[in-house]
Amino acid sequence: MLSSLVLALSTAALADEKAADDCLKTKIWEGYNTGWAVRTATSATLGKGEHRIYLVTLYAGNEYKIMACADTDVANVDLVLYDSLGNEVMRDANQDREPSLSYKANATDTFYIAVHATALNGSAASGGVATAVTYK
Amino acid sequence: MLSSLIVTLVLAGCSDAEKPPEPPKEEPQVEVAPKLDAAALAAAAENIALVPSPAEMQRALEKNGIQAGLSAMVPERKLKMDIENKDVIAVRTGVVLADALLTVKDAPKEKLVERLAAVKAGVAALGAGGDIGAVIDDLTARITNDSVSRDDLVKELDEMHGAIIPELKYEAGERCVPLIQAGSWLAGSNLVAAALSTANNTSAATELLRQPQVADYFLKYVATEGEGKAPDEVIKQLDGTLKKLKEIASKPTLTIDDVNEVKAQTDAVLGLL
Repeated sequence: MLSSLVLALSTAALADEKAADDCLKTKIWEGYNTGWAVRTATSATLGKGEHRIYLVTLYAGNEYKIMACADTDVANVDLVLYDSLGNEVMRDANQDREPSLSYKANATDTFYIAVHATALNGSAASGGVATAVTYK
Repeated sequence: MLSSLIVTLVLAGCSDAEKPPEPPKEEPQVEVAPKLDAAALAAAAENIALVPSPAEMQRALEKNGIQAGLSAMVPERKLKMDIENKDVIAVRTGVVLADALLTVKDAPKEKLVERLAAVKAGVAALGAGGDIGAVIDDLTARITNDSVSRDDLVKELDEMHGAIIPELKYEAGERCVPLIQAGSWLAGSNLVAAALSTANNTSAATELLRQPQVADYFLKYVATEGEGKAPDEVIKQLDGTLKKLKEIASKPTLTIDDVNEVKAQTDAVLGLL
């Protein structure tokens, strides 16, 4: 019984992530038409107020676009870029499910990307959020 | 005209008087991501996006004024995957994947198919052949039939490197992903160092080779293997190379001697594979 419940929950979570992955994959492939390529794409299931942090190396000279896509259970996703010392570099201020940040590093360094699910829709307990780092 | 206006105003006034007062309009609640401090960031950080891909290194090289194409510098390699040490298989798989990524646009068809077959053999030997094996079979068939463009292949190999390889941890264990990434990163860094040395460009070297956190990330996995167990010759060299690369990468600026040392150190690992 418990195992069925766990399986059902994890299947639901994976379904959420799949919708987010599909949305992100479309954006990544569209990006190739304008010279963007993908460093990493990953996904997670987040509850309201939860976040994921990704450490990322950004090269001086390259342009970077950090993108996220959430499924319809998520009302708002926020992206925040921090430098290696924890100083906030930039954040997206829009209330939406598909935020992006564009950044060009002055020097090669490591940064933190924070992906927050700040609001969910209706009675959803969690939602899938896919995140990608692309460059050109 | 004036009387109509008066009537309208009076009616409007009566009408307002009868209406119950409207409840205050609810402003949509704006949820803002909280600011996190350095300790919270470091504690929660995942390394999945830390390591740049070889194709990204190539792009950064061009942006920093070095036009040497890494593709032409990729050497011939015959790396066996039917060995016992899975750490070494993972590193070899990463190296072949880097070779495939860097040469995907202009390698002869047969060579590209051979490199993909080596990647497939590597991940299968790591115990994770299912999904990625099917992806490689499909790619190989399309390359053989000339039914995929090289531009589309770039996208598909990028996706394999950036999205499918990280998922191997679920089948092959946590260790295999960083070691595959280490192989790709070492192969890419080796070529970048060679290009920088030829161009004698130290300012670009400082921007391209200073990644101490990447070396540190790999070292954590390599060092784990060393505890309580005699390390393989490759892993032992890898450990020494990564420590040296971390030391060089921690300098504020790099000299041409540093660049040559990166080349020598990465040559030492790749030569043992």
